[in-house]
Amino acid sequence: MTRRAGPLLLILPAALVLTVFLLIPYFNIVLMSMRMPGNGVPYASGWTLGNFAKFFADPFYLEQLGNTLWIGAVTTLACLLIGYPVALQLARGAGALRGLRYGIVLTPLLVGIVIRSYGWTILLGNNGVLNRSLVGWGLIEAPLPLMYNGLGIIIALTHVLLPFMILPIMGAIQGIDPALELAARSLGAGRNTAFRRVVVPLSLPGIQAGCILVFVLAISAYVTPALIGGLRVKTAAVSVVDALIDSFQWPFGSAMALILAVIGGLVVVGFARLTRMKWVRAR
Amino acid sequence: MKSLRAMIFGAYCWVVYAFLLAPIFVVVLASFNSGAFLTFPPQGLSLRWYYVFFDNEVFWRAIRTSLWVAAVATVISGAVGTSAAIFQVRFAGRGKEAVRIAMLAPLLLPEVLTAIALLFFVYGLGIGTKGMVGLLAGHVLVTLPFVFMNVAASLESFEPDWDLAARSLGAGRWARFRRVMLPMIKPGVIGGCLFAFIISFDTFTMSFLLKSVGTATLPIQLYDYLRTNFTPEAAAVSSFSVILTLVVVVVSEKLLGLKIRRF
Repeated sequence: MTRRAGPLLLILPAALVLTVFLLIPYFNIVLMSMRMPGNGVPYASGWTLGNFAKFFADPFYLEQLGNTLWIGAVTTLACLLIGYPVALQLARGAGALRGLRYGIVLTPLLVGIVIRSYGWTILLGNNGVLNRSLVGWGLIEAPLPLMYNGLGIIIALTHVLLPFMILPIMGAIQGIDPALELAARSLGAGRNTAFRRVVVPLSLPGIQAGCILVFVLAISAYVTPALIGGLRVKTAAVSVVDALIDSFQWPFGSAMALILAVIGGLVVVGFARLTRMKWVRAR
Repeated sequence: MKSLRAMIFGAYCWVVYAFLLAPIFVVVLASFNSGAFLTFPPQGLSLRWYYVFFDNEVFWRAIRTSLWVAAVATVISGAVGTSAAIFQVRFAGRGKEAVRIAMLAPLLLPEVLTAIALLFFVYGLGIGTKGMVGLLAGHVLVTLPFVFMNVAASLESFEPDWDLAARSLGAGRWARFRRVMLPMIKPGVIGGCLFAFIISFDTFTMSFLLKSVGTATLPIQLYDYLRTNFTPEAAAVSSFSVILTLVVVVVSEKLLGLKIRRF
């Protein structure tokens, strides 16, 4: 008996932390989303599903949700296109620079989000480095609107989330036996064909994992859209915090957060189903 | 002789690396600006804004708060995450995958949602954001997965035979842990704690929603400052923070040969 109880003591602290500070608070949010909206107080007594109805009846929130999902999708695609070659280089490359390259890929994770976003405002602002250079070189006449819009959010999110795409793909490519590619080449496949028919299909699990991570993190990101999007463009996550903190609508804010989480989850499940079907067919 | 396509491929990758470094690079460059405003190219190089920042008690208080919160969160996460990792690798049996997912849950769930959930929770308890309970709980949650992942990864290479050998030589449970297992997994524990410390030091969302008056961490203070001020002082503070992180990472990499394992 003591032999079984001993090891359980090891997991007890973690179980306590996760139950008290994660499980119960999340359960509480579900309850909160069904409470009556309060007047002057965060919530009133009684239960209702009206908070969810209010969200789905308002075209403003629906459009915002659509925009958020769109930004998430474009960011995911951008991360995939930008990140795949780098993942390939990191997985296959060797040499003294590999450590440096790996370090550079990790930098967005190690530097605080406020500092990164600050850097983007210096680069992308109307008076920023990019616009000034372009105007200075005579390439454009008026500054391009790179910030306070969806484009700026996508650029900054792509930067923040690139490591989450590169690292899983790198791991998947490292797991591919280089002999497979050589075999394809020796059987007469060109370099492109070997890449397209051997490397890409075998790295699909990494691609899938990377896409899911990036998408989930992109639609739930708060700081980057809040700092880069300003007041004009708001993603759903920014609106959730506004509703909860600024206007003190706890039940409605909770309902919004849950809707965003559930819809994000559905998109991920759908994507996972679709890509799995693809694998089966490719085999 | 490299082929043209290999060169194009290499160049493309370096463009991506430049993209990854660009925002950090401009912040560091801007911090050496001698002018009163952020202009590019800088009007001249000077350490003027570093002097301003070094004299600014507000930022130092924020740095102290950040260091304190990060230290406490790291100690708690380090102990809780390490013991959970030992359980997961050695004793969880069929529940291994379930324990792993549970331990990584704080990383997979939206941070902003977790922060809001915690906020309601501390208000529900009646303590609100007056104490540091909510803030510390949030920081422990965001750092726990990193300790867990690093320690679990280093435990995978720990041979159960070593434990058995020590046992047959008469070592007790605690002695086996302290003298056999701990030295073997030390790189994982230190690496995990280091990563936890950096994550806690830099995290924004948790601190933003759970802070109380007087407990602004450095990212929060910087964010507040940036809303009203546009002098390069913010760039000097940011560069200081970046350099601090860099020094910690490079020194520990050199001393311990750590690999930051994230996936």
